Amino acid sequence: MTADQRYFEDIDPGDEFEESWEALPEHVQQYVTLGQRNLETMGRFRDAAGAREVGLQRPIVPGMMSLAVLTRLVTDWMGPQGRLQTMDVDFRRPVQQGDTLRVLGLITDTHEDDGRPIVKLDVYLENDRGERPLQGVAIVELPRRP
Amino acid sequence: MTAEQAAPDLSYDESVIGVEVDAGDVEITREQIARYCEAVGETNPLYLDERAAAEGPHDGIIAPPGLLHTIQTQGWMDPKVKFGNTTFAAGSKMVVMHPVHAGDTINARVAISEVYAKTGRTGTMMFVVRRTTYRNQHGLDVATNDFSTVHRQVERVQ
Repeated sequence: MTADQRYFEDIDPGDEFEESWEALPEHVQQYVTLGQRNLETMGRFRDAAGAREVGLQRPIVPGMMSLAVLTRLVTDWMGPQGRLQTMDVDFRRPVQQGDTLRVLGLITDTHEDDGRPIVKLDVYLENDRGERPLQGVAIVELPRRP
Repeated sequence: MTAEQAAPDLSYDESVIGVEVDAGDVEITREQIARYCEAVGETNPLYLDERAAAEGPHDGIIAPPGLLHTIQTQGWMDPKVKFGNTTFAAGSKMVVMHPVHAGDTINARVAISEVYAKTGRTGTMMFVVRRTTYRNQHGLDVATNDFSTVHRQVERVQ
C-alpha cells in the first residue's frame, strides 16, 4: 500500500492500475472467524468435501472477502484524502482458494458533481483462466491539487 | 412427471418485504480492525498506524469500508424461499457516507427489500436482496449495503 495522495488533476479516463492477490486458504480461515458466524460453519470455505456438497470442485473464498480485496485496490489507489462513495459489484462465479488473481481498476469517467471532483472506475478480479469472478463499478471523490 | 409437478416452487413469505429489523450493536475495536486487515491484506496506515492516522484526515484510526460486512447481524426476517438447495453471493452495492472510527458503536438495521426469480441459461434462480443500514452512536448513517444472494439447485460433486 502507498500513502501517496492521488489528485483529480492527475488522472484521465483510460488510466489503468492493478495489484495481485493470492487467495490463500489460511487467509480465508482468518476471514471466516471475524464475525459472521454462519461463514465459519459453511464447508465450502473449509475444504474440498464441503465444496463438493454445493457442486464445487475446490473450496472457495467468501464473496465479501473477495470484495474486500477489490475495495482495497480502490482505497489504496485514491490515497488518504480520497473518499470512496459507492462500490457496486456482481459476483459472477466463485473465487477458488489457491488461485492468484489480478485485481484491476480502469478509470472510465471523470466529472464534477455539485463542484466535487468525481471519478468512476470499472473494477474487477481476473483469474489465470481469464475469468472475472467479481466485477463492478466504484465511485470515488478525489481532492484537487493544492 | 407432469409439467405442473416439475414447476419449481418460487413461493416465499411476502409479508417480510420492507420490514426493518434491529440486528444489533457492535463496537468496532482497533483489534478487530487489525484482524480484518491481516485477513484481507490491508496495510493502509489509516487503518493500522495510530500516529499516521492521527495526522490524517480522520484524526485517528478508521475501519476499512468492508469491515462492516463482517459484523454479526441477527434477527433479520427470513423470506422462507423454498426454491433451491444452496445460496451464493450474487451482488453488493455499498454506499459509504461517513468513516467508521475505532471505538464507534455501529448499529445495523436490516430489511429484505426484494425477492425475485430469474431464468437464464443455467436454469431458474431466485434472488433475495437485503438492505443493511449502518448507524453510529451519534445517530449518523455511515453506510448502506444492498446485498443479494442467489438461491440455486445444485448437484453434489462425487
